Amino acid sequence: MTAPASPAAPASPPPPPSTVRLTIEGIPVEVPPGTSILEAAKQAGVLVPHYCYHPGLPVAGVCRMCLVDVEKFPKLAPACATAVADGQVVHVHNEKAKKAREGVLEFLLINHPLDCPICDQAGECELQDYTFQEGRADSRYREPKRFNPVEDFGGDVLYVPNRCILCTRCVRFMSDVAQDPVLNVSERGDRAFIGKAEGHDLTHAWAGNVVDLCPVGALLSKDFLNKARAWELDRSASVCTGCSQGCNVVLETRDNVVVRVKPRSNTAVNQYYACETGRLHYRWMNRRDRLEVPLVRGEAGVLVPAAWEQAIAAAARTLAAAPRLVVLASAGLSNEALYLLSRIRGPGGEGVFRVETGPEAPLAGAPDLALRADRAPNGRGAELMGFARHDQPLAALQAGDTLLVADHDLAGLDLAALDRAGEIVVIGTTLPGELVSRVAVALPTCNVAEEEGTFTNLRGRVQRFLQAKAAPGEARPTWSVLGDVAEAMGRGRAPMLPADVFAALAGDHPAFGGLTYAGLGLRGLPVLDAAPAGGTS
Amino acid sequence: MTYGPSAGAKLATTPAHGHDDAPYQPVFTGAARDELETLCARYPSRQAALLPALWMIQEARGWVSDGAVEEVAQVLGVSAAHVRGVLTFYTMYHQHPVGKHFIQVCTTTPCNLCGAEDVVNAFLRHTGCGELGVTSDDGRFTVIEVECLGACGFATPVMINSRFLESVTPDAVPDVLEECD
Repeated sequence: MTAPASPAAPASPPPPPSTVRLTIEGIPVEVPPGTSILEAAKQAGVLVPHYCYHPGLPVAGVCRMCLVDVEKFPKLAPACATAVADGQVVHVHNEKAKKAREGVLEFLLINHPLDCPICDQAGECELQDYTFQEGRADSRYREPKRFNPVEDFGGDVLYVPNRCILCTRCVRFMSDVAQDPVLNVSERGDRAFIGKAEGHDLTHAWAGNVVDLCPVGALLSKDFLNKARAWELDRSASVCTGCSQGCNVVLETRDNVVVRVKPRSNTAVNQYYACETGRLHYRWMNRRDRLEVPLVRGEAGVLVPAAWEQAIAAAARTLAAAPRLVVLASAGLSNEALYLLSRIRGPGGEGVFRVETGPEAPLAGAPDLALRADRAPNGRGAELMGFARHDQPLAALQAGDTLLVADHDLAGLDLAALDRAGEIVVIGTTLPGELVSRVAVALPTCNVAEEEGTFTNLRGRVQRFLQAKAAPGEARPTWSVLGDVAEAMGRGRAPMLPADVFAALAGDHPAFGGLTYAGLGLRGLPVLDAAPAGGTS
Repeated sequence: MTYGPSAGAKLATTPAHGHDDAPYQPVFTGAARDELETLCARYPSRQAALLPALWMIQEARGWVSDGAVEEVAQVLGVSAAHVRGVLTFYTMYHQHPVGKHFIQVCTTTPCNLCGAEDVVNAFLRHTGCGELGVTSDDGRFTVIEVECLGACGFATPVMINSRFLESVTPDAVPDVLEECD
């Protein structure tokens, strides 16, 4: 989508102006030459209704929805495919443009089944929205509508051709961004539909994006099919925990259950996209076998529920009495939690973690974007906090060491090493079965969907995630539990807010110098020694 | 050689015979490949030779199979999805096997007024096809209706493969078929 390189200009003509001034809906805007009217209108705060245009895709100009009235033009112009010119006066909402859009909408609805009540897209459908805003109240079309059966496109995608408006966003995404061109427009005229090459499926690691790109309900996620209505969902800005890329996402919950993960645009990290792994990486956030109350091993040697104060005191006592402390910290913990763990660990202790790995899956058409081999969000953060990465982290355990397991998954670890541990303390979302008989204290914490904090992605970008749902039982945010434990051990004051932890972290670690929790915003900032974006993985 | 319209619209039904399960044999080998390369040299990109390449396939095999789509995609360096999109856009490429003699009868308004329906029915009866778009049991004939063949003054025009006949009447149909080997 890069503009073709301009040929070497002869010396005589004056250089083109660096900006173009025009008026859109009476609002003056100044944009670089070559900008489309549609993008210029966005800067003026004017939304030009459109379907086929998407900022991440090549311009097609096929939907005719973005027609605008440009003064002195003989006819309406498609705002997505018309470049701005100096002194242009553009009308988006005058009678002429509105009438054109009303006509386009009427044609788009001729073969549309109008089955919004059973359509997953209802509530977040641009066809529904624009028809409601500026379409006709009723249809003049009385003939039978075209019918095509639903097709399984493979992967997570269903195609409902009757709802399709043939904007070709999905075709362009697969051919230009995923660069796995398996979709096409088949047939023509009123018979046209989105076709799939025989014997190929939408199994590309990033194919699920066609569901988000589809402005109507023609491409649906099988995973989300009939699960919830769009208006019942609560949405929270978050960061994907599927790998170390740190794609910005939205966690969508219904009745305190995460039901869908959608990408949130961030041109510095994931453009507009999220991979299949990330999209489907949410079920664990809803797991019910959670540690819900603090547990302390009582007089009789059995684990009994305890009040938070007693449990924290017991944990602090056990950890402070450790001859040597080994902290097994998950790379899925926030920077804040890992920072507080490094305080608890102290200079004499050892911090280790393990990261699950898998095959890397790049998105060819986007710079520096891939499903990364490291399938945890904060391995970089853990390393910055002084934790060492090992394939067998429990090998660090020496006889008599106290082990603190901080939400680390025990699957794949050499559990025989646990026999060397003196005391074991668990601070995490679950109490693994292997530890039930060994643990001295277990403190329940929130998972990533239930607390807020920051992750550091593989390029060193620090990004905030927000709380999406309530934690079960008495579980408390990880930073809060760890802060209290650290204070009880005499290692600094307990923080009141995650921002307090971040401020202390930024003070202690030069790489985070100058960063503030609020300053990160919702799109994050790089740490000081971060590798420049755009490099290879 | 010409790549003119030698065939008709996509068939509504798949004939019972004609599909075989044998592995696909490539068309673009030897002389055919040389011919394709000559064609490609005429255009700025190989993709531009897509329509003639599909014609060559259809002339060689009578229709364009899934295997042929893959072959064309591979020799021209475009995606199979793109080839399929083009193949289905145009009505004169066959996506199913058709009879040896592909009969297209014009039934657009002037011909219709002059009795083209009767000509169609005569063809359906005498070829044994029985239904539009269905290939006769002996595999020799397929009959379809076609939009204007541009000979309104000579209703009813009929195309049999690339042979063009004018002023065909129902009575003439048996003689016309007699000439087909």
